[in-house]
Amino acid sequence: MAAEKEIPSGASSATASHRPVHSDTAAKWFLMSSVVYFFVVGVIALIIAAKFVWPELLGTIPMFSYGRLRPLHVNGMLFGWLLAADMGLVFYFVPRLCGVKLYSEKLGVATAVLWNAIVLGAVVSLLMGWNQGFEYAELPLVLDVAVVVAWILFGVNVFGTVFTRRYPQMYVSLWYTMGCILWTAFVYLTGNFATLFTTGVNQANLNWMYVHNAVGLIFTPVGLALAYYFIPKAGNIPLYSHKLSMIGFWSLAFFYVWTGAHHMIHGPISQWLQTISIAFSLMLLLPVWTVVYNFFATMKGHWPLTRDNVPLKFLMSGVVFYLLTCFQGPMHSLRSVNAIVSKTDWIPGHAHMAVLGAFSFFAIAGVYYSIPRIFHTKLYSDALANWSYWLAMIGGIGFFVTLWLGGFWQGWQWNNPAIPFIDTVVALKPIWAVRFFSGVLIFGGIATFLYNILATVIHAGPRPQEAVHA
Amino acid sequence: MLNKADSNAVWFIVLALVFFAIGGLLTTVAPPLIDKSWAAPFSNSDPSKGLTGQLRPLTELEQRGRAIYVREGCWYCHTQQTRTLLADTKRSGWRGVDSPVSTPDEFVYDSPHLFGTKRTGPDLSRVGGKYDTQWHRTHFRNPRDLVPGSIMPPYPWIANNESEFQAIVAYLQTLGRAKNWRPENDYEK
Repeated sequence: MAAEKEIPSGASSATASHRPVHSDTAAKWFLMSSVVYFFVVGVIALIIAAKFVWPELLGTIPMFSYGRLRPLHVNGMLFGWLLAADMGLVFYFVPRLCGVKLYSEKLGVATAVLWNAIVLGAVVSLLMGWNQGFEYAELPLVLDVAVVVAWILFGVNVFGTVFTRRYPQMYVSLWYTMGCILWTAFVYLTGNFATLFTTGVNQANLNWMYVHNAVGLIFTPVGLALAYYFIPKAGNIPLYSHKLSMIGFWSLAFFYVWTGAHHMIHGPISQWLQTISIAFSLMLLLPVWTVVYNFFATMKGHWPLTRDNVPLKFLMSGVVFYLLTCFQGPMHSLRSVNAIVSKTDWIPGHAHMAVLGAFSFFAIAGVYYSIPRIFHTKLYSDALANWSYWLAMIGGIGFFVTLWLGGFWQGWQWNNPAIPFIDTVVALKPIWAVRFFSGVLIFGGIATFLYNILATVIHAGPRPQEAVHA
Repeated sequence: MLNKADSNAVWFIVLALVFFAIGGLLTTVAPPLIDKSWAAPFSNSDPSKGLTGQLRPLTELEQRGRAIYVREGCWYCHTQQTRTLLADTKRSGWRGVDSPVSTPDEFVYDSPHLFGTKRTGPDLSRVGGKYDTQWHRTHFRNPRDLVPGSIMPPYPWIANNESEFQAIVAYLQTLGRAKNWRPENDYEK
């Protein structure tokens, strides 16, 4: 059992002569492509938000209709940007936590190439309407198989590195990364292959087990791995408690998978299964609050650091959003609350706070922190990074809060059958307009982020030696 | 037990998979074995046991229509479930008759399932037989011509393609028809 407080690196115990030189080639491939997808898919996001305000927009072109661009937005953000950025950052911190080089940079680059081929294949197939009809699992079967292959290659590389590590003690970020790789394998197979052998409610149950755990057992563990690594690193502060991180991890491992059926509360699925999913949804407060308490206690006395430190700013805002979104989740699962918010515009407000507010903020922070180090240079502009933070933050809050208020109001209206449905649509129009303009701000944040990262990389080469930042 | 997983990667892998597998198996494999209604198509000919009717598989034409519904992503904005909420049974109802709630036995042949998660437009679980072919043609061409204020996109490539249009309308007219909840002469073609 390690000391209560630790800074993730383990490198403090290694002498300089033992410290491996990381080439980070695989990380570069993943990170650079992911930030470009973040921007490109951001354009798609703006178009679909605009369609709520101007429904005729691009309306006569099948490829650009809402029903085809929406899955492109979701898949593009989840797999083109977020998961790719997460994988790149995993390739960055896992070798450093293990004190050895990455198991195989070549394999990592091959994984990145395959991943990019999958993303491009997804763009073509979703625009053509080759949609399997399962949420988060829209991609055609051939691409599903390619994802499985890429995930195995990724897993081999990470586990290969872990098994050859120099430091016996595995830091919490390594647990979350390994957990993510193992659980994702099963979750992905359930949502993309097991569903094909079932029908009706049985299939829906498997689909929602996947949908829910795509967030809960893919993006949550790898996102928390980033937060556990980059918060102590960016602030140069030891983590508050090893024990709390253990409770958080193992309770997540046990509780999360039970909650899939809460997507069908009041729906045509067995009541007892709904009740089980509600009970476990409430228990999720345990892993969430232990993790969040650990991060807050780590920051105690160090909050002034967030004034100038952009990665830390993104990280701690992400932690707050994580706390909020994971409070909403269990509350939505309660039958009384669910009767109001379920299927309304509240839900995209909730989902965006998780995937954008929490997990994308963690990944953005990781990119801002690691790119200058990978390219042995300084960030192109701290001021611009600050702009990207405030644009994403203000736009994000505008987006989330507007949709919560609008969605709650919409739910109340739906529950009064005297109000015709179309009136509840018309009532939401101002909400959707504010959502679009909030989206423009978020997109501004993404654009400045992309520009800053590209400028950093382009200016990296010819910098004089004294500007090099260790 | 958990401390050992800190420094032993193999032990970690075993524990992580066991923790996950308990809930994983109990919530996916077990429920359909326990609740048989998930797999038994709705069928009732005895009025004393509730609504009569029978769930039948889709015809080839209706299946082509369903594939168009999937291709165009209709299910991103339209749910197909009348939930156990009073308001849902009223909204899915027709001419003062409340709709029955959706039950698993009405969806046994569905693949992919189309329950949906977001209701930007109205729920379609009982839309079958409410609007005739001409209504649908006008509505697909431009929804705002029939429903001012609607934000549904126009679908000229369906309205102007007779074979696709016939197929999707045929599919829509099947929705929610397994249970005979409206008077027999109350359905549009």
